[in-house]
This record gives sequence, structure tokens and C-alpha cells, in this order.
Amino acid sequence: MGVEFYEELKELVGQEGSQLVAVDEVCKPMIRHWCEAMQDGNPLYTDEEYARESKYGSIIAPPTMLLTWTMPPLWPPGEKPPHPFELFLAKLDEAGYYGILITNVAQKYHRPLFPGDHLTFTYKVTDVSPEKKTGLGNGYFVTTTFIFTNQKGETVGTQSLTVLKYRIGS
Amino acid sequence: MTWKSVYWEDVEEGQELPTVTMDITCTTVISGAIASRDFTPVHHDRDFVQNLGLKDIFLNNATICGYVGKYLTDWTGPEGELKEISFRIATPCFPGDTMTKTGKVIKKYTEGDQHLVDVEYDFAVPQGRNCGGTGTIALPTRGH
Repeated sequence: MGVEFYEELKELVGQEGSQLVAVDEVCKPMIRHWCEAMQDGNPLYTDEEYARESKYGSIIAPPTMLLTWTMPPLWPPGEKPPHPFELFLAKLDEAGYYGILITNVAQKYHRPLFPGDHLTFTYKVTDVSPEKKTGLGNGYFVTTTFIFTNQKGETVGTQSLTVLKYRIGS
Repeated sequence: MTWKSVYWEDVEEGQELPTVTMDITCTTVISGAIASRDFTPVHHDRDFVQNLGLKDIFLNNATICGYVGKYLTDWTGPEGELKEISFRIATPCFPGDTMTKTGKVIKKYTEGDQHLVDVEYDFAVPQGRNCGGTGTIALPTRGH
């Protein structure tokens, strides 16, 4: 696609969506399910006695679960206005870039998460590359950054995700 | 059960982390996707993903995050505190693959009162590198 299309994409960079609220509080059953799936035996996550004696004084969530707490529900469907990131993806879909693949992940952990914590988060597109030739087809690398906040208003962590939106077989 | 700790004083730059292998199955892929609340069909629906031209369902990014966290704190022990991780996904990891996890300490330093190490890691599958990246961990010190 031409320079004009890339300029249109760049206009959507930095647009903040509304603040979103996690469906569930941080809780022990979801932590345990995660540890079961990841085969993670760290006693801070599931051993009450060990965790109580630790510097945290309680069970904590695996820090890598950050994004999991804020995943949207499968059902019922959301009624919120579309987020700028969704508009971004829709624009690429319309232009024929249907393929999507996550290429880069980065997480920073500022504070531990405890059962009972309730997260809110905002996210925005923070970068888009010019169109690039890749092994899968021509596409754009789109980076989104999330900021996660607990119920006290403290930032608990950030995550950035880069996806390749590509034209399949181009 | 007692848990061992890797102390900051005992770590050297260039030191290798243990090599760990893990057999990936449909169950590990799907349980990881669902535990991370990722219901995207490419992580549980073989027909769907094969219609896209891919061989099979594959590990989702959150499960790779979980495996990175597990790999690093299995090495440090529970007193190792993850500060950040960052990786690039190069090739998908499919059921039937054996994942081989390797790593190395690349930097040892202090920041304020924190005793930190940076590590790099590489998770390989038969068709190439599934992911590679870095992480920062705060380690306990002897006498603290």
C-alpha cells in the first residue's frame, strides 16, 4: 500500500482508548490453574504456608500472568465502543492484511499481584512500521502497549505486544 | 519441602543456566491457552488452523511467557524476583515438539539496593527457535 495509507495508520498511533476493568479479581483458583498448565511449582503461587513465611506474607500471582487478568470474556460479547487498536486492525483487514501473528512480547513487573487485587488497564498503539517484506507476506508490525493499575491506583506492570499484520501469500 | 536459592554472589557473567526439555502435546498447548484465557481458535482448533495453511495448533504467547517465568525461577528458586522479560517469537511450537530451553547470565549488577542479573534464553523446537529473549531478575544475597 502507498504512503498515504501508512500516514492514515500513523494517525491512529498514540490514541488512548477508555480505561477497562478486569473481569475477575486476582484469585487463587486462576493462579492454580495457570501453574497447573505451565507446570510451575513455585511455592509462592500455591503453597499457603511457604508464601505466608515469605517476604510477601501471602500467595502472589505469577508475574507473567499480567495480561491474563485482563483478557476479555468469551461470552457475553462486549458492548463497548471499539478501541483504537481494533480500528487499527479493522483498517488493515479492509486493506487485505488479514494475517496476524504475534512477534514480540515484553513485560515489566512493578509490584506483586495478590489475591483480591482488581486491575484496570489502558492500552494504545505505540508504533507501526512501514510496510515490510516478510517470509509470510508483506505486512506492518504494530506495537501495542498496556499499562496495568491496581485498585489503589498503583501501576503494577506494563506489557507491549508486537503483531505482524500481513497480506497472506503476497 | 525445602527450596534452594541462587544467591547473587554466586552467579557469574557467562554462566549457563540448566538445559531443560519439555514435551509439548495438544494438552499442554490447550491447557496453556485456556489458563491464560486466550480462546483464539489457532490455539485449540486443529481444523481451523489447518485451513489457514499451518501444520497444527501452536503455543500462545501467554504460555510462552509462563514457560519463561517458570524456566527462570526454577533456576533461581522462589526468592528470585522477575523484574522484566522480553522475547521474540520466531517459529511456532506445535504438539509433538520437544522444546529445549537454554539460557545464560549476560550481566550482573546492582541498582539501588537491588542485586540484579540479566539473562538471555532460547527455547528451541525441531524446526528452529521458538523464542529467544532476555529477562532481568533480582536475586537474594547471602546474609540478607
